[in-house]
Amino acid sequence: MAKRIVIDPVTRIEGHAKISLFLDDAGNVADAEFHVVEFRGFEKFCEGRPYGEMPGITPRICGICPVSHLLASAKAGDAIMAVNIPPTADKLRRLMNLGQIIQSHALSFFHLSAPDFLLGWETPQPQRNVFGLIAANKELARAGIRLRQFGQEIIEILGDRKIHPAWAVPGGVRSPLTKEGREKIRGWLPEAFATVQTAFDLWKKTMETHQREISIYGNFPSLFMGLVAEDGTWEHHGGKLRFTDSSGSVIADQVDPQKYYEVIGESVQASSYLKSPYYLPLGFPEGIYRVGPLARLNVCEQMGVPKADAELKKFKKLGRGAVTASFLYHYARLIEILASLEYVERYMDDPEILDDYLRADAGINSLRGVGASEAPRGTLFHDYTVDRNGLLKKVNLIVATGQNNLAMNQTVAQIARHYIKGANGAIPEPLLNRVEHGIRCYDPCLSCSTHAVGQMPMQVQLIAADGRVVSEVVRG
Amino acid sequence: MSHREPGMEESRCGRKPSFLVIGYGNTLRRDDGVGPRVAEAVAALNLPGVATLTCQQLSPEHADPIARAERVVFVDAAVDAPREVQLRPLVPGETTQLMAHAADPRTMLALAREVFGHAPAAWWLTIPAAELGFGEELSPAAQRGLSEAVAQIQALRG
Repeated sequence: MAKRIVIDPVTRIEGHAKISLFLDDAGNVADAEFHVVEFRGFEKFCEGRPYGEMPGITPRICGICPVSHLLASAKAGDAIMAVNIPPTADKLRRLMNLGQIIQSHALSFFHLSAPDFLLGWETPQPQRNVFGLIAANKELARAGIRLRQFGQEIIEILGDRKIHPAWAVPGGVRSPLTKEGREKIRGWLPEAFATVQTAFDLWKKTMETHQREISIYGNFPSLFMGLVAEDGTWEHHGGKLRFTDSSGSVIADQVDPQKYYEVIGESVQASSYLKSPYYLPLGFPEGIYRVGPLARLNVCEQMGVPKADAELKKFKKLGRGAVTASFLYHYARLIEILASLEYVERYMDDPEILDDYLRADAGINSLRGVGASEAPRGTLFHDYTVDRNGLLKKVNLIVATGQNNLAMNQTVAQIARHYIKGANGAIPEPLLNRVEHGIRCYDPCLSCSTHAVGQMPMQVQLIAADGRVVSEVVRG
Repeated sequence: MSHREPGMEESRCGRKPSFLVIGYGNTLRRDDGVGPRVAEAVAALNLPGVATLTCQQLSPEHADPIARAERVVFVDAAVDAPREVQLRPLVPGETTQLMAHAADPRTMLALAREVFGHAPAAWWLTIPAAELGFGEELSPAAQRGLSEAVAQIQALRG
């Protein structure tokens, strides 16, 4: 009799989800599904709003990565106005995005994922969290918090103290970087660089002791997608789309994000509110691709800054062609933090960065505009169609976690196949920990729109094909 | 290193803030945003020695400003509490508590103590939430709760 194991909820990710593991008659894992059970409806309820309001609305999609939505939304507005924004406005948007990458990656690496691989998979769940990390390495935990603070500080200095600053607007940004703000950012940099170096030292030891995890935590061939500059340099806010395959070969390059729909299809599964985008020429599900740090480092040829370029060379040696192990998303995050710090440092010495010509103005010159930007978790698209008065007729958002949906399913299935064999309702917790961590490699962001107080228990159910609960485990 | 926290309003009197008010919640989900509204209302009073911080959800970096305060009030909307504004003392939570992108006040106090060496005296001020749909307008009940919460914070500050 076929059975299904449900892990509900998945902890230490942003939002609420559950995992179903489908077992065959022999008790081996046949398939896996990652379900997102929240429904947001942003695309629908934005219809009828003026497009200029979108940078104020869409950051509310998420309390963790609001900047990504802010910037993609402003870029979609740029496209509707058909303007090139002033150079300093572009640099400041980039600076804010770098702050976002730093803070988000720091949280993911130090506090959400490090407890797993530093404290050990067999460590009981009550100790395998940030407090366990503090007990094991207090300075590391503190440095991680401070690094995240730095990223938040950049955002705050530019966005001026608001929870969700509507600072980026169609045509540019609202306010400049002040000299005081620049010096504050500059003052943080030595500490931030030192923290990243500590993290690299730690990570290299982790790689030595986690070869097994590298080989089975989502290690499979797939396509990879990300933005790159014209010369193939790592991009995070401009550039065009590039797809590579697992051999490292470029299969589509310099695709204008305005025409993403020519290369990306969107599939909808009945079991989840998460869309499953795929590379259109290969169809669904063969067109599975990954986005985010691992993908960005796979599709680019260089980071464009020296320290991160040195790390990129080491990273690329870990794959035959592309680096296909999702466990190495963690390594890719560290490299992206390092690159972000180097770019921030570069902007601090840029004489244009304090300029106050920040906004281009125009009417509606296009009835459709797409904004694409690299969110920490992967490429984000905002696609707006407006009427002649600028009121939104259609909104389509493609988020990173959706684009990684198929890859997360494969990751879970791969881990579960390796560790769960002939299970008859007794699933040891360390195995569940590994399945959860497979998801956490992607740092999925399911965007909870309201917060909840209290703990999230983990519920594991073994369900027979007829819906009968064969066994149940609750933890937390 | 001195720096300003995200969303943190500095004390206007030039002294180190000793009393920190943290309002958290989603301001686009009607009454869920009452916490930030209370913090904004307190900030507008320009009280000496009082700093405010607004955020959608509590997260690890907030442990630093919490540790630097002498007293902290966490202001939140509540859906499962009695239909009245409640002010309750808080102690650091069990360090076995889960830590995700968002944390609860007791966890933040524990984090402040464990990582930054100090957990201040703290209170949890909860305001009944009646409406949690999309929108920025507070329900009449939450509006009343906001006024009462500001008064309670002023009384607590002394």
